[in-house]
Amino acid sequence: MSSYDLNEVLKQREKRTAADHMKERMDSGQAGAYQGNSFAHAAEKSVDLGDVSRVRVLSPGRQVFKRFIRNRLAVLGTVILLIMFFFSFICVLFYPYGQKEIFYTYASQNVNYALAKANTAYNGYDIDPGIAVERTVVNSMNSNIKQMIAEGQDEKVVIGSEGEYVIRRTADHIYTLSSLPMEEVCSIGSGVVQVGTYSMVGKSMEFTGKEIPGVAAEASKNAKGTEGSFTVDGVTYTFTKGSKPKSFDIFMEQDGILYLGEELGEEFEKEVSSAIETGSNGFTMDDVSYVLTQQGEKYTVYSAGEAAVAKIYTSYTLDTFTTGLKVADDFRAKALMAVTEDGSFEAGYEGTDSASFTIREDGDVLFVYDEDGREFAEFSLFSVRRYSGEDTMDYELKKVLSDKIEEMLAANEKTGTVMAMIPEQDENGAYRENEDGSYVLDEVEMRITQRLEGEYVINCDQINFIIDRFASPTRAHLLGTDGDGFDVLARVMYGGQVSLMVGFVVVILESVIGIVMGGLAGYFGGWVDNLIMRLVDIFYCLPSLPIMIILGAIMDAARVDPMKRLWVMMAVLGLLGWAGVARLVRGQILSLREQEFMVATEATGIRVRSRIFKHLIPNVMPQLIVTATMGLGSVIITESTLSFLGLGVKHPLATWGTIINSVSSASAMAHYAFIWIPVGLLICLTVIAFNFVGDGLRDAYDPKSKR
Amino acid sequence: MAKFTIKRVLYSAVILFFVMFIIYILMYNMPAGYLETKARELASRPGATKSYKEWLTDLNAQYGMDKGIVQGYFVWLKSALAGKWGDSWSWTIPVTQEFHNTIWYSFALGLISFILEILIAIPLGITAARHQYGFRDYFTTVVSMICISMPTFFVATLLKYIFSVKLGWFDLTGMQGRNYGNLSDFGKFLDIAKHFVLPAATITIISIGGLMRYTRTNMLEVLNADYIRTARAKGVPEKKVINYHAFRNTLIPLVTTLGGSLPGLFSGALITETLFSLRGIGYASYNSMTAGDIPFTMFYLAFISILTLLGNLISDLLYAVVDPRVRLS
Repeated sequence: MSSYDLNEVLKQREKRTAADHMKERMDSGQAGAYQGNSFAHAAEKSVDLGDVSRVRVLSPGRQVFKRFIRNRLAVLGTVILLIMFFFSFICVLFYPYGQKEIFYTYASQNVNYALAKANTAYNGYDIDPGIAVERTVVNSMNSNIKQMIAEGQDEKVVIGSEGEYVIRRTADHIYTLSSLPMEEVCSIGSGVVQVGTYSMVGKSMEFTGKEIPGVAAEASKNAKGTEGSFTVDGVTYTFTKGSKPKSFDIFMEQDGILYLGEELGEEFEKEVSSAIETGSNGFTMDDVSYVLTQQGEKYTVYSAGEAAVAKIYTSYTLDTFTTGLKVADDFRAKALMAVTEDGSFEAGYEGTDSASFTIREDGDVLFVYDEDGREFAEFSLFSVRRYSGEDTMDYELKKVLSDKIEEMLAANEKTGTVMAMIPEQDENGAYRENEDGSYVLDEVEMRITQRLEGEYVINCDQINFIIDRFASPTRAHLLGTDGDGFDVLARVMYGGQVSLMVGFVVVILESVIGIVMGGLAGYFGGWVDNLIMRLVDIFYCLPSLPIMIILGAIMDAARVDPMKRLWVMMAVLGLLGWAGVARLVRGQILSLREQEFMVATEATGIRVRSRIFKHLIPNVMPQLIVTATMGLGSVIITESTLSFLGLGVKHPLATWGTIINSVSSASAMAHYAFIWIPVGLLICLTVIAFNFVGDGLRDAYDPKSKR
Repeated sequence: MAKFTIKRVLYSAVILFFVMFIIYILMYNMPAGYLETKARELASRPGATKSYKEWLTDLNAQYGMDKGIVQGYFVWLKSALAGKWGDSWSWTIPVTQEFHNTIWYSFALGLISFILEILIAIPLGITAARHQYGFRDYFTTVVSMICISMPTFFVATLLKYIFSVKLGWFDLTGMQGRNYGNLSDFGKFLDIAKHFVLPAATITIISIGGLMRYTRTNMLEVLNADYIRTARAKGVPEKKVINYHAFRNTLIPLVTTLGGSLPGLFSGALITETLFSLRGIGYASYNSMTAGDIPFTMFYLAFISILTLLGNLISDLLYAVVDPRVRLS
């Protein structure tokens, strides 16, 4: 069936007659002066009572359009919707911020800035890393030094399992740890002592200590099998197969004293026995110190050699005058060693390989001066550090704080405040610098509170680079920022996209299902109709909001990806909503089916499918479009409600519902009205617009219908 | 009429059967291991009387989870028909007891807003119809549109913001004031009533739009009817035409729809009650649903499905009762 557009036909005819008139005039050769007059004449002539063009005929589409634009509310709705689409889909392209872009700002933040404490713990620095010190000795240094302080000792000998160590006090708060090389002198008491090892390969005897005559010869005779014994000079020696192949370890039963080297005489033995009796673990004889160790009944005596300083311990902490200058432990060790000597030392520090310094004591503080006599650093018993433990504080600031704490101590106060300049911190936690490289400083009130005896916490409002949460609307962020530092306006735009998309996808889905099911039911009737309508009844009865809530809870438990959630949600909303459309389509088709044009399609033998979808459905379209438009609004409401409850689209994906959800707690709702009120109004406005347009369409399609 | 009623009741029962089946499938597909975690949680609760294994077998048997979907559904159906709805998991009391504890608050809330809705919407709808295309008509049309278009949560939040935060007239949430315990019985009643103001206002605002439009449409239709023209032609006073002839006929569709929504008074306002923390059935079921409390959720969904079917039945029956011209078949 070719379309017959009356308007077109009329227009063409009008053109034709106008051309005819023109031709007539040309033929009659009238002058240009009369032209206007003749035109008027022609126009008069064309509006003849019997002429068809006197009545303007509009196509059905234009009629609907004309009626639609006459409805002011409908036009308003259309305008709002166009703005909304423009806002969500076009503005977003030109808006500089993304929906998940986090904004930062420099803002004052209450922080625990520093920790000041009197140092009581001793830290060790290596003097000679080549000297191995046992871990157990190192670990017990602090308690040993405390014990020495308590007992007023200047020197203490510590016996480790592998060697002997001496702790010496060299100056106040400075102790050295020295290791003594030890040599076995003799063993005393009853027990089995290894004399030596006899090797079958070289037929030679290797003695542990002094060579015992005759043993080697006897050993070479008797050493067979795995074990045995032989006698030399009335002493019984036992041997067992040794750890190496073809070698024997030779032992002797001893009672009394056995020297490994030369014998030291009676006086030494007396000293040893007196030491064993008193239970002391060492003695000194002839300027050599001896150490006793006990293993059961047996004692072993070692002689100690010259002490070598391995480590130096101190409770001083080093503060350099240049802020944050890194100084190696080596510098500290050398400086502390120099205290007891002439006070000068050479050491390197960050950026310099070697420089000479002098160290001088002044009260409780050790000052380090460089070559030019300038203060370079100081050792003090009171350390002020950043709360994280880093030494990045300015010397002046440390000084201000420690002076204030001294003042507090003198006045016996537990809290105090002092004004100080502190630097701002950037996003990496580093101090923020001006263009000229100096730090950006702010004057703040430092609040000092005593936490423990000799320990102070310094708290202040530092300006940090932090996430710009809940910023009020400004020029940069027209609607402010939300709790995650996202720009609200950007999120509103992206949220609009999702909300509108959800609306359209769901409505299209439910319309497609509804048209197919309703079309089938209405056209075929009978059992098909019965079956589909029972299905419609069931879906009508299903409580959709509770089902969506349960589904949301299930997806929460299954930790479904936000984007997948969105699709599932749209699919289920579509599945739950088709019943209404199907009922509408069926009802319409039932009445249309009986009309003449359907009889005509049957008579002309058009296929069933095209009869339904080409001739019936287009006639249902007007009603369907109206329902779909109204449905869009309600889908948007459902979606935003679910998202508001946290069961629909999930953060950080933005929809209008999630934006309001992010400020739904009582306090956020009260304080951040600038976020949720505009978004809520936007939802209302969009839904109202859809309803106005739907209403307008209904009136336009069928002016006589019920509103 | 009796035959029609019986037929409809049986038909509703069949629909209910399938509706519950769909809901059961949804419940059955709760994430794997859900019952296990639930059983572990229940067994480790203070005062738990059953061990984890006992709880697990108990739960599986109770909900037929140890069988297939279809058999499981019949197990559930059998116990539900016998009135055994089980114990609620999140409220730790029998489902029916939680129902008794909450339903009357929901009913009170529903009834108050229902009455308010009728008192506001019907007169406004009639006024709008009488002055068609006048200012009042446009005004009510726009107002009803706005009411229809506002999401419940936005209205509730807006009311809270204005009346609780800014003006401080009402509490933000909850059902009782701070010194509820010290009040006399009448004082207690007033305190609870005060806490119902904002929720009732929310529901009323949301629902008046629809009724207003419906009233206006029907009134317009009646006013265009021949018998009204006749009455006017006879010289019947305008007041009598409206109040006697027109209004009575407008009532026919109104009574039908309103009658159909009566059972809905019991169904609770899911979102409003949740947002205002009113311990009605909507609040209880929302929390049950999000906490995965299967017994209570199944009960609640069955309950509201029955209410929906009952509403349809009532409105069909009322249609015949109110309008003698209609014959049921």
